[in-house]
Amino acid sequence: MMLLKIAWRNIWRSKTRSAVVIFAIASGLVGGLFSSAWMNGMAKQRVINTFSIETAHIQLHHPNFADNFDVKRTISLTDKKLNEISKIGGVKAVTSRLKVSAMAATANKNMGVTIVGINPKTEKEVFGLYKKVDSTSGDFFTSKKKNSIVVSKALAKELKVKIKSKIILTFQDYNGEITGAAFKVIGIFKTDNSPWDKMHVFVRDADLRKVVEIPKGQSHEIDILLDDYEQASFISADLKSKYPELLSEDWSEIQPYLSFITEYMDMMMGIFMIIILGALGFGIVNTMLMVILERTKELGMLMGIGMNRKRIFLMIMFETILLALVGAFLGEFISLLLINYYGNVGINISSLAEGMESVGYSAISYPMLEPYRYLQITILVILTGIFASIYPAFKALKLNPAEAIRTL
Amino acid sequence: MSVIKVSNLTKTYTDTEVPVHAVNGIDLTFEKGEFAAIVGPSGSGKTTILNMIGGLEKSTSGTVEVHGQDISELSSGKLIDFRLNNIGFVFQAYNLIPVLTAKENVEFIMQLQNWEKTKMNERTFAILESVGLGNRVNSKPNQLSGGQQQRVAVARALASKPQFILADEPTANLDSKSTNQLLDIMEKLNKEENITFIFSTHDQRVVDKAHRVIKVDDGKVVSDEVKN
Repeated sequence: MMLLKIAWRNIWRSKTRSAVVIFAIASGLVGGLFSSAWMNGMAKQRVINTFSIETAHIQLHHPNFADNFDVKRTISLTDKKLNEISKIGGVKAVTSRLKVSAMAATANKNMGVTIVGINPKTEKEVFGLYKKVDSTSGDFFTSKKKNSIVVSKALAKELKVKIKSKIILTFQDYNGEITGAAFKVIGIFKTDNSPWDKMHVFVRDADLRKVVEIPKGQSHEIDILLDDYEQASFISADLKSKYPELLSEDWSEIQPYLSFITEYMDMMMGIFMIIILGALGFGIVNTMLMVILERTKELGMLMGIGMNRKRIFLMIMFETILLALVGAFLGEFISLLLINYYGNVGINISSLAEGMESVGYSAISYPMLEPYRYLQITILVILTGIFASIYPAFKALKLNPAEAIRTL
Repeated sequence: MSVIKVSNLTKTYTDTEVPVHAVNGIDLTFEKGEFAAIVGPSGSGKTTILNMIGGLEKSTSGTVEVHGQDISELSSGKLIDFRLNNIGFVFQAYNLIPVLTAKENVEFIMQLQNWEKTKMNERTFAILESVGLGNRVNSKPNQLSGGQQQRVAVARALASKPQFILADEPTANLDSKSTNQLLDIMEKLNKEENITFIFSTHDQRVVDKAHRVIKVDDGKVVSDEVKN
């Protein structure tokens, strides 16, 4: 206890010097933590958006459906399966979809798209796309008008359509015949992923089923939303054994990129913080060497009166760690305030919106950092303090007490 | 049996351009309860002698025996423990720990010896009382005068219950009043508690109080006089 007390009080002997070190550590950590939180927020938002708009947490397909979107490769007895899956623990909501490759045509342009046939009620329980249709851009199947279609703003711009415009969809039906139908635009959505937006249009399951002539009870995809997305791999494995004739994939299998960016961000944050703390560590070493130089006489006296090497070493190590920790707590506190503030209001980089959205990221990002990250950083700072104290402590241990006491 | 026996002790500094023979084969013994002063001009070797007796410096040759144990044979780690448990030091520049109060400075050495807290507390207050600082226990060194700081240093030296106390020019930075107070306290402790004090000094006031005066010059003992 006495060593800790001395170490703590020693920090404040040279207030200016300690303050410089503390602010250096604090600003380093604020920079590191805030930018990590920003990157983390962007990545998490990307992941959450993908779950909400594109993939849900688990998907079931016919094993060969993904090869060429063959309309005949369906899941049979869909309603029964939806009922069974909805009863599995951890499943929050479930829906089915039809998916047909098609050509969307207007008087101005033709574009290849995927038609997604949905059941609006259950769709809204699993996916959040309906929230991306704002009140000035129509609605997401609130009325029961037949052959309605919801398209993205990006596609609408390409095809030069607006609400109430008609789009002709041409595709191959269940019997292999080329067929088509006209759909009226009732809603325009916009997500943060413009390439995806351009490739998907949404119609009612019943309308699409009728024109493609898909038998009742069959679908192309079952989408499952879970209470906790981290349970996806376990529940997907259960579904594989329950429905061996189907292909069950969790989100990391459907979009390997998602798990990659999560892991990549973790790794980047780690490397980033280690670089920052490494640089700060050298600053701390320098400060502690100055401390040893200034306190040569005192250290000589301590050795002289009988303070052994282990205690001298510990005293210097405690002082270094405490100095680093004060800086760390200050930095973490400021970071917490900044991250909380910008986590609520968001950081808008609208000037880069087009570029961001072309790779699936939102122009407005909300920095976030999990609480355990602060603990990790604190541990890293303690380790930095330990490493930074080793060289100065050894320098102190090499002092000759008699010579050290004689120094001015 | 003598407390300290110094035999044929020499110290030559070789890290200078020309080797400096600071101590040239001295022999001394100190008995329990002595109040002795090693005196001599600057550079005469008195501090070096004291440092070697206290194990702060290794001798070039010769031995220093404390209660029959040759401390020159101890490793540096064991020497630190030896100093902690056997020797009290009082330095010229007080050398207190500036961030600790008077009480904490005294307790510090007992904490190094792992004293039990209640006993440590009792002893700290008793010692600070005995050096006349019972009312300044919570003052930090920068709140004390030079004389008071040196009295705290004496209290710290006493706290570990040493075999003897080595005081290197303890009055060099003190005014007459503080010097007299300090010397009176040390003499009282010597008389009442039979604590052995060895000073290095060139202060006549210390010489006048000392019961034994060892004069050194050029690293040699030129006289060794015990007063009646």
